[in-house]
Amino acid sequence: MCSVAEEVAVRIAVEPSSIVLQAEAVRIQAIAKASRSTVGVFGIDGQGGGSGVVISEDGYVLTNYHVSDPFGNRMRIGLSNGEMHEAVIVGIDPTGDLALLKMEGRTDYPAATILDSDKVRVGQWCFASGNPFVLATNLQPTTTWGIVSGVHRYQYPSGTILEYTDCIQTDAAINPGNSGGPLYNGDGDLIGINGRGSFEKRGRVNVGVGYAISINQAMLFLGHLKSGRVVDHATLGFTVTSDDKGRVIVSNILESSDSYRRGLRYGDEILALANRDVTSVNQLKNILGIFPSWTRIALRFKTADSTVDTYVRLGSLHTPAELNEIITGKPLEGPPTPDRIPPNKDTPDKDIPDKDPVPPSDQDDPTKSQKALPPPIVDPMKDVFESRKGYGNYYFNRREIDRITSTGSHGSESNSKWPPNLKWDWSGAVAGESTSFRFLSQPKEMSMTLGDTTTPLDPIRGWANSIDSQALQSPALAIELWQRWNSIGPRAMGECTYIGTTPVIGYQEWQDICQVTTGEVESFFYTSPATHRIVLIEIQSDRRQDRLEVYFDDYQMTELMGLNGSASESTSRFLPKRIRSSFGPGTPMVIDFTKVEVSEEKGSE
Amino acid sequence: MNPYIMNPYTKIVRVIVQSCFVWLTTMSLPCAGENSELIVNPLVSQLMQSQPKMVKIYGAGGMKGLESYQSGFLISKEGHIATSWSTVLDSTKIRIILSDGHKTTAEMVGMDPQTEIAVLKMEEPTESYFTLDAASLPNIGDRVFGLSNLFGIATGDESVSVQRGVVMAVTPLSAKRGRMKTLYQGRVLVLDVMSNNPGATGGAIVDLDGRLVGMLGKELRDDQTNIWLNYALPMDVVSGSIRRIFDGKTESVGRTDKLVPSKRPHRVSSLGFSLLPDVLAKTPPFVDQISPKSIAQRSGLQVNDLILLINDQRVDSRRSFEELLATIDRADNFSLLVQRGQDLLRLEIRP
Repeated sequence: MCSVAEEVAVRIAVEPSSIVLQAEAVRIQAIAKASRSTVGVFGIDGQGGGSGVVISEDGYVLTNYHVSDPFGNRMRIGLSNGEMHEAVIVGIDPTGDLALLKMEGRTDYPAATILDSDKVRVGQWCFASGNPFVLATNLQPTTTWGIVSGVHRYQYPSGTILEYTDCIQTDAAINPGNSGGPLYNGDGDLIGINGRGSFEKRGRVNVGVGYAISINQAMLFLGHLKSGRVVDHATLGFTVTSDDKGRVIVSNILESSDSYRRGLRYGDEILALANRDVTSVNQLKNILGIFPSWTRIALRFKTADSTVDTYVRLGSLHTPAELNEIITGKPLEGPPTPDRIPPNKDTPDKDIPDKDPVPPSDQDDPTKSQKALPPPIVDPMKDVFESRKGYGNYYFNRREIDRITSTGSHGSESNSKWPPNLKWDWSGAVAGESTSFRFLSQPKEMSMTLGDTTTPLDPIRGWANSIDSQALQSPALAIELWQRWNSIGPRAMGECTYIGTTPVIGYQEWQDICQVTTGEVESFFYTSPATHRIVLIEIQSDRRQDRLEVYFDDYQMTELMGLNGSASESTSRFLPKRIRSSFGPGTPMVIDFTKVEVSEEKGSE
Repeated sequence: MNPYIMNPYTKIVRVIVQSCFVWLTTMSLPCAGENSELIVNPLVSQLMQSQPKMVKIYGAGGMKGLESYQSGFLISKEGHIATSWSTVLDSTKIRIILSDGHKTTAEMVGMDPQTEIAVLKMEEPTESYFTLDAASLPNIGDRVFGLSNLFGIATGDESVSVQRGVVMAVTPLSAKRGRMKTLYQGRVLVLDVMSNNPGATGGAIVDLDGRLVGMLGKELRDDQTNIWLNYALPMDVVSGSIRRIFDGKTESVGRTDKLVPSKRPHRVSSLGFSLLPDVLAKTPPFVDQISPKSIAQRSGLQVNDLILLINDQRVDSRRSFEELLATIDRADNFSLLVQRGQDLLRLEIRP
């Protein structure tokens, strides 16, 4: 021990090595970069306080649902440079504890760099950024440094409805007020949204275990959140259990589920979901939990005699009534609503989202900093909120429908709307066969000819019957819907809801999806975010049966005569050269179009 | 001046160098490919090598305030597991889940009541285990990592949780003013990370090179300040305990031979005390009542004493105590090790 003093003297005299200083400089840079995207979330009166992160330059902000919920529809966002901006709620995901907010008026908001959080590994450095304990009156975020303690974690709902699936666990300090704020990797790139800790007997402060919703999950939900809806998580329509060999086995299945229609039965073994191996019940919940309802994902299962690869459409985890109960604050049966437990209450509940220490009504809290906050400098939020049941903010649903039906962004006249009241004549043949195909459509009558058989179709009635009986002429109904979408537009067709973005088999990029109630049937339009062209139309009559799926492929510039009221003048338009039609993901009937003729229908004017 | 108080400053430079070196190696990589960071981050790969050596342990408990799970790590090719000696092990069947999700069971080999360390053995051998090196003592200020299944977060084949911390002090637990309620009073590594949470006990502390340098202890809270202590038993203590258990030198060797009952054995009633009613599969042998002027009273036994050992043989239930007692002739003396509050007492019973 006598050498300790000498050792001290020697070591203190040592200059920090350049590698240390360099590392420190890199770290400072990463934190500085990341801090710019971290925001404080306050009530419209400046009270309360949670955290959030800017994810796009046009002002979208992600935070926790349990942070935004007490604040209502409008709130204030404090940027790290001290500016206060007003924001509105856009969409909420009460189950996954996410809320999307929007600031308006600028296109240079400091957006975070978003990383693929599936590449995060245990042991990597990370840091949480936010406003714990509402410490920062100047809105400068607090940084807490740590490592990734676990990935792909599953955390039970645990007395609340908030279920954390596939989340990232960190030992970076997560305290009240950090909720909704970003978790960054060591480079300052966004990997998650902090929101929960394992709180037990040590009280509701950092216990060395914090959880962040993976940014990948948030991105999978982003399209849905932008719809302004109360978005829902998914169910597969079956439950599983693990047997003594650790296999994940179907223990119960709904006959009305898509999985059942794809051949899954009681006792079958689940091997993979969304192309990820299923090795435990938790893992299945992890994979399922990151997808919104409506998503169609790959499923691999093993029956007694074969292995099946298929796709299943995920159903909604809650009924609309249940979701409404959640957001209106009425308790569901049993578990208490989240975010209503005072910070110092000695509660044995574990894994409850950290609570913001300053509820909006708390007048006596010394950490309250609202008097020091500057007034908002931007208030372009007028008319950016529209209340409607089932929506966080219906205004954004209308805005998204405007976007996907617009033609301006991709420019040319060749994508522009078609005039209404046209007479259409599609001719072609079934691929690989000599059977000819023809679809004639006028505003008041339609007919489809396949080979020698011509079937008249009613523009309104009899659609449900055609779909239910999986009639041969069903594809013509989808072509008719294609025409209507591109002429009169979805709003004139029926009640129309923008759902979000969702994967479509055969497409890398997720497609926009819009639901339209068209007479007797429900129709689902999948359009390309880039070109706004329809790639798929689905028609559903009976929810227990497979939908008609008609893919519109191989769009090509086509010369058309007879538009613009002149028979001699030609116009160029993009038209699909092929459709693939099937009920469910079965073998499709493929029709190649050889000729499309369009003319003004004089009689109806 | 206590050298341990000064020492942190001497180590700060080293800590910064160590932690930043790892970090810098990660940060300064060229963007060779999207996965390059994962492959070459030495910390990530080191921790990945430690994971297969960790086990999740499930046993008795699950009632209010008592977890039914804890952590442990493999220490031999034969499948020996080091963990904390706790109520979780008071189970007829101790269930083990390996890092790859494989499920098995383990038997108690022995325990050391002084350190509250237990050694289990699972049925199958293993390729992944920590080497016990009593010399692996971290210095104050050293960067360490805790691996444990705290809060039971990981199930099946999921990796146990990893936390990073610094050794703040190396000091006897008994040095704490007011003293924590703990049997073990020896040296511990005090950590700056919230490591000693439910289920963390028995977890491993490793250094930057992946060497085992300690074992996470049980949860400890100071009643007066309501502060929870984060600490680990240092490697010399851990390996010493394990060696004594292996060598049979600790008082705690579990019985392996068939018991031969004495013809004229001692009986609890004739010694003048009674135990708590036998209501569980493994009811802990707590002294319930003592008769005045009895042998038990004369020998110093008290109500609420928990009997841990009889003649240096481990007692894990009321039933095993009675079986062992029945092997001793009523004319013979025997010894008891009892836990009274936070103290361990050795009592000589003289009929």
